[in-house]
Amino acid sequence: MTIIKLINIALRNLFRNSRRTLITVLVSASGFAALAIIAGYMDFTFFGLREMTICEGFTASGGTGHLQIFKQDALQKEERYPLEYGIEANDKLQSTIESAGNISFTIPRVEFNGLISNGEKSISFLGMGVDPVKESKLIQYWNSLDNMSVKVILSDSSYVQLKKTAPNGVLLGEEMAKALNVKSGSGLMLMSTTVDGAVNVVDVTVAGIVRNTIKSISRYYLLTTIKTAQNLMQTDKVSKIVVVLNKTENTDPVRPLLSKRLNGSSAKPLFSVIPWHDLAEYYNSVMDAYRIIFSFSGIIIVVIVFLSCTNTMLMATMERVKEIGTLKAIGISNIWIILMFLFEGFFIGLISVVVGIALKYIFSWIINNSGFMMPPPPGMSFPYRLNIFSAVEFLPWISLLVIVSTTFSGLLTFVKIRKISIVNSLTHV
Amino acid sequence: MNNTVIARLVDVSKYYGNGAARVKALDRVNLSLCRGDIVVLVGLSGSGKSTLLHLLGCIDKQDEGNIIIDGIDTSSMSLEKLTPLRLHKIGFVFQSFNLIPVLTAYENIELPLLFKGLEKKAISERIDEVLEEVGLQDRKNHYPREMSGGQQQRVAIARALAGKPSIVLADEPTANLDSKTGDGILDILLNLNQQKKSTLVISSHDSVVLDRIKNVVHIHDGKVSVDTEHSPCQTL
Ligand SMILES: Nc1ncnc2c1ncn2[C@@H]1O[C@H](COP(=O)(O)OP(=O)(O)OP(=O)(O)O)[C@@H](O)[C@H]1O
Ligand SMILES: [Mg+2]
Repeated sequence: MTIIKLINIALRNLFRNSRRTLITVLVSASGFAALAIIAGYMDFTFFGLREMTICEGFTASGGTGHLQIFKQDALQKEERYPLEYGIEANDKLQSTIESAGNISFTIPRVEFNGLISNGEKSISFLGMGVDPVKESKLIQYWNSLDNMSVKVILSDSSYVQLKKTAPNGVLLGEEMAKALNVKSGSGLMLMSTTVDGAVNVVDVTVAGIVRNTIKSISRYYLLTTIKTAQNLMQTDKVSKIVVVLNKTENTDPVRPLLSKRLNGSSAKPLFSVIPWHDLAEYYNSVMDAYRIIFSFSGIIIVVIVFLSCTNTMLMATMERVKEIGTLKAIGISNIWIILMFLFEGFFIGLISVVVGIALKYIFSWIINNSGFMMPPPPGMSFPYRLNIFSAVEFLPWISLLVIVSTTFSGLLTFVKIRKISIVNSLTHV
Repeated sequence: MNNTVIARLVDVSKYYGNGAARVKALDRVNLSLCRGDIVVLVGLSGSGKSTLLHLLGCIDKQDEGNIIIDGIDTSSMSLEKLTPLRLHKIGFVFQSFNLIPVLTAYENIELPLLFKGLEKKAISERIDEVLEEVGLQDRKNHYPREMSGGQQQRVAIARALAGKPSIVLADEPTANLDSKTGDGILDILLNLNQQKKSTLVISSHDSVVLDRIKNVVHIHDGKVSVDTEHSPCQTL
C-alpha cells in the first residue's frame, strides 16, 4: 500500500515541473536513440562485412564461403610437395557434402604459387585455381541478399572473362600487371613445381586485370582456372572445398553435421570443416574495434544521462526541502523518502525509453532514406550507402542501461535528503 | 483529569550557534505534561517557544537534559531513530500548514496512517471521522492549493490527530490566519481536547488563545515558569 502511494506521489511530482522533466526525458531519450542507432549501424556494418567476407574476402584467397573443407593433415603438417594433402574432389564427395542439408553449392579451389614471367622479368605470385562459373555464383549470392536493400552490386565480369579465355586464362592484380607491363590478351608464362618435384611451365593469356583487390596483395594476385593450375602441378587434387549455404545463420548448425557426414565416427577424422568466422581475420579485428567504440560511446552516453538526471533530482530535492522536512517530521523515514525519488528516476527512465524508441525509428528512417554515402571502409575500394538496421536484440539491453542510470541518479539524493534538518526545513519557503 | 505523565522535560537546555554568537534558547527547563492536559506556551518573540515544541516533538535534539515521551527516554536517540516515535506518538501542527502539495486533503491525512500500517478500511473510516471533526468533509478531494489557509490548517490538524497521537503540538497554529479563522481553528483544537482527552500544547502570543486556555506556561529568555493552579501535573 505504502509503495503504491509512493509511486503515485513520484508520478505526480514528475508532472509538477513538467518542463524540467521533459528536458530530462529528452536528454535520456536521445541517449537511448543514439545508442540504438549506433547498435543499428554496427549491426548493418557487421552484416555487410560478414557477407563481404563470405563472398569476396579480404585476402588473396577470395570469399571464404560459409564453411571450408580441408584435409585434417593439410592444417597440421607441412606438405613435402604441392597438394600432398589435397582433396580429390569427386562426385561421391560432392554428394556426401550435399547430404548435410541447407547447402547451396560447393566451390573447389586450388592454392598454389610460383613465378610468372613475361620473358624478360619474373615475379612471384600467390595463385588460386578456381571454377569461374561457381565463383560467379558466389557473387550472385551476395547480389541476392535481400537484407542489404541498398547494397553495392558486385560484378562477376572478370570470372566471365576468365571462363571465356579458358583453358589457360589468368586474372592478374593491378600492381602485378603494371610490374609485368601487360594488358588483357598478353601472353605470359607460369612456372611452378609439380607433385613429382619437377619444374613445369604453362603458357597463359591475360584474361583481365582485377582492380578491386587490397593494395598489398595486388602485386601477387593471380587467378586462373582449376584446370590450368592442376596442369601446372600435374595433379587432379584441389586444396579445399568451399561450401556455400542457403544462409549465413546456418553456418554453426551445419558445421558439425557436415563434419560427421565426411568423417563418420572415425577416431582420427580425415577432414576438417572450418567456419567462415575462423577464417575472417579482418572481420574479427573490425568487429573488436567496433565493440570498443560501441562500449565507449555507451559509457559516455550513460554518464551524460546519469548526470543530467542527477541534476534534475538534486534540483527537485532542493525545491522540496520543506516537504521532505515535513515528511520526516510526521514520522516517515528517510528510506521511504529516497525510494520516492528512486521511483521518479525510474519513471523518467521508462518514459525516456518509450520516447527513445520513437526517436530511434524516426532517425533511422531519415538516415535510411537520405541516401547518405559512407567513404570506403579500410581495405575496401568502394563507398557504400549508410543503412541503420533495427538491432531489436540490443534494445532491451539499452533500455535497461538507461532505466538503471536514471533510477540510480535518484540515489545521489540520499546524501542530501539525510542532511536536511527538519527544524531548518520548516522555516524554508 | 488523568494524572499519567505523558511528556517530561528534565533540566533541558538548548543552545544555538558557537562562540560569541552562542545563544541559550532554553535554559534548564523542567516540565511535565499529563494525559489530557491542554497547555498554552506564552512568551515574547525569541523566548524559545518553538525550540521547546521542537524538542517535545522530537524533531530537534536538546544539548543537555532528558526528555521522556510516553515512558521512552529519547535523550540518547538520534532524530532518525526517533522517526517511529514521531509517527506513532506525536502529532505536529505547523504555523505554515505544511501540507504535501501533490496530495489531496484526504491523501495528506492518509499518508501517516499508511505508514503506520493501518488497514485501508480503517484508514478511510478514520479519515472521514477526523474530516468531520474539522468540518471539511466536502473538501476531501481538494488539493492544498485549492483551499484557504484556514481550511489547509484544518487539514493539517486532521492529519496530526488522525493517528491518535499521545501528544499534539501546535506552534502558533493561528499566526498565519486572520483572527476569526484563527478562532475557529482554536475551537476545533479545544473541542477535540475536551472530547478525546488528547494532550495538546499550543504556543501563541495571541491574546485570544490566552483568554481561552487556563493552563499557561510562561517562557522568558529560555526559562520556563508555570502557573500551577490548573494543572497539578506540571512541575517547575
Ligand atoms: N536555527 C537557529 N539558529 C540560531 N539561533 C536560533 C535558531 N533558532 C532559534 N534561534 C534562537 O533561539 C531563540 C529562541 O528561538 P525560538 O524560535 O524558539 O523563539 P520563539 O519563542 O518561537 O519566537 P517566535 O515567537 O518569534 O516564534 C531565539 O533567540 C532565536 O534567535
Ligand atoms: Mg516560534
